Amino acid sequence: MNNIKLAWKNLWRNRRRTLITAASVFFAVFFALFFRSLQLGSYDHMYKNAIESYSGYLQIQQEDWWNDKTIDNSFRYTDSLNERILDDKNVTGTIPRFESFALASSGPNTKGVMVLGIDPEKEQRLSKVKDKKVKFLLTAKAVEKICEDENLPQKTRDMADKVEGNAYSTVDRFLSDLSLDPGRRDEFLPILESYAGFQNGAIQKGEPGAWIGSGLSDYMELDIGDTLVLISQGYHGTTAAGKYEVKGLIKQPTPELDNKVVYLPVDIARQLFNADGMLTSIALDLKNTDDKAIRETSIRLSKVIPGSTRMIDWREMNEIMIQQMEADNKSGMIMIGILYLVIAFGVFGTVLMMTAERKREFGVLVAIGMQKTKLASIISLEMLYIGLLGILGGMLVGAIGITIGVSNPIVFKGEMALIFEEYGMEPKLVFAGVGTYFLWQSFIVGLMVLISIVHPVRKILGLEVVNALRA
Amino acid sequence: MKVLEIKEVHKIYNSSEVKVHAVNGISIDFEEGEFAAIVGPSGSGKTTLLNMIGGLDNPTEGKILVNNTDLSTLKSSDLIDFRMKNIGFVFQSYNLIPVLTAKENVEFIMNLQKRSKKERNERTMELLNAVGLGERAESRPAKLSGGQQQRVAVARALASKPKFILADEPTANLDSKSTETLLEIMEELNREEKITFIFSTHDNRVVKKARRVVTIEDGKVISDETR
Ligand SMILES: Nc1ncnc2c1ncn2[C@@H]1O[C@H](COP(=O)(O)OP(=O)(O)OP(=O)(O)O)[C@@H](O)[C@H]1O
Ligand SMILES: [Mg+2]
Repeated sequence: MNNIKLAWKNLWRNRRRTLITAASVFFAVFFALFFRSLQLGSYDHMYKNAIESYSGYLQIQQEDWWNDKTIDNSFRYTDSLNERILDDKNVTGTIPRFESFALASSGPNTKGVMVLGIDPEKEQRLSKVKDKKVKFLLTAKAVEKICEDENLPQKTRDMADKVEGNAYSTVDRFLSDLSLDPGRRDEFLPILESYAGFQNGAIQKGEPGAWIGSGLSDYMELDIGDTLVLISQGYHGTTAAGKYEVKGLIKQPTPELDNKVVYLPVDIARQLFNADGMLTSIALDLKNTDDKAIRETSIRLSKVIPGSTRMIDWREMNEIMIQQMEADNKSGMIMIGILYLVIAFGVFGTVLMMTAERKREFGVLVAIGMQKTKLASIISLEMLYIGLLGILGGMLVGAIGITIGVSNPIVFKGEMALIFEEYGMEPKLVFAGVGTYFLWQSFIVGLMVLISIVHPVRKILGLEVVNALRA
Repeated sequence: MKVLEIKEVHKIYNSSEVKVHAVNGISIDFEEGEFAAIVGPSGSGKTTLLNMIGGLDNPTEGKILVNNTDLSTLKSSDLIDFRMKNIGFVFQSYNLIPVLTAKENVEFIMNLQKRSKKERNERTMELLNAVGLGERAESRPAKLSGGQQQRVAVARALASKPKFILADEPTANLDSKSTETLLEIMEELNREEKITFIFSTHDNRVVKKARRVVTIEDGKVISDETR
């Protein structure tokens, strides 16, 4: 019987030992994959969030605007320019923007704000500002009513106190912050809506209305219907000033933006800054957003846009975030390194135990005439089979688990969610789908198995029969 | 014909503080077909001597010739092959491979020797029948009594048709009934098949069955009687 067959048979002769060893490899692969999937998933999610919630993958800007965001660095936007851009085969929409800064005041309160002149309809293609309108606002009064309503679950009433002041643009998030079981949504949502529901108005072309961040509204004590005064410097040094009625509140996920953003219809913003017909940027909605398509689109469009403008892609616009993420990836690597250390101890420990447990068996085999080299190669083969079994099993179960995870991200609720937010993180764990990292992680665990084979091989080749028999 | 010649053999253990002269100049020969016991008090050097005879351990001094081959001239991989062809071992604690059945344990060496399947099967069953365990061929060691395991071990030792069988206290872990059965089988194999047995023992009942008794004390032969 040859070694390959002998080793294979040995596996099934001691199933318990085989399973324990294979399990150590299986869990090693599974955890490595699971962990890496979460890491990559969180990066992906952050990129997508940043890009799809505002900058888009590609923009057209006045050439100096990115480095010096003054109104003077704006460019003229015409219908014919718009058509030329839309003619490109990869462009499905243009999103015009006019951005600047102003001093906002209302009664005794003043604050520096970011003024975003937008086309609310076109923004639906990218930042979806309309979807971020506040639907629920937990004012002190609303919280008081929730706490007093004995029909509501105790948990919800307890939580209401902790999240007082928060604004919500989605029902799901509102309910989860209040620890309300989604199954009882129909029963309680109408009640909560009557206490904390929030109504917004629209902003539209030609009307001096504004949407403001919920954080800003809180700070400035601005409610719907109140008047907001904006003062700034306009195009070419003119004075800019205007009065706007607050039509609605927007909940921006990043607190920084939420505390300082004012949305105006794009033409109203231009009027404020005395910059009729000008824009600071045009974000593009693209059909194909992979790197190559973006590059090619950018090259094609460079030829049709005015000389004073340029193309800028998401990498340049999100440089800081990309750097942060690369730094985070390094610390993620350290985490994974620690995980590998734990895994390696698991695998080596199992192999060490296996070797010690079989010392006597090895001794007997060599005593009765089995060559050490043959024994070593049989044991190596056994380990390889076990390693392969564990790795393939881990990859398979990992792939199934991760595929399920991709469509069902883990969302934290209630207090757990608050803890995440305190650290500036979204209370959500997102998985990256099956990818090349599978091969890498499995390769590394495979390498550990190979290294761990060295131990029994050395023990066998250096075996002293008399000692081994006494074991 | 001499199967085994031991010439002025010494074994000194140099462990930590004390230097132990476990075998202190032993010279004896064994002929084909012998049924010999090596006896002596605990610590007298029986195991050490048998290990050296079996090529499991090297003498510090002296020579051991098996079938006219000086063991010390063999390199370690050749020594392993030599053991497989010429020497059968029976250990005090049976030392069967727990995951193999009785039949597979006996067959194992023949597998290494690349014998045909037919030959393996025939010889294995012949040997198991000879030790009275033909019925238990498919049992694993854990399902067999100590005496039965030791009988499988004897069958295993015989599988490669060795020149002699070395058994270090083969009955030490057995009750008197099993001891008796095992000895009957060994005697029968010795009588009918001319198998040479060299075994060490403490047990007087075993000593009584031996046709030659070599007594050692403090690593030296103090008597050598043939009866
Ligand atoms: N590996 C070793 N290292 C050091 N001393 C050893 C070693 N093996 C045996 N000895 C010593 O050698 C002497 C002979 O031991 P051995 O095991 O050969 O005796 P024995 O006759 O087989 O005894 P028993 O009847 O108890 O089995 C003893 O004093 C023992 O302590
Ligand atoms: Mg002994």
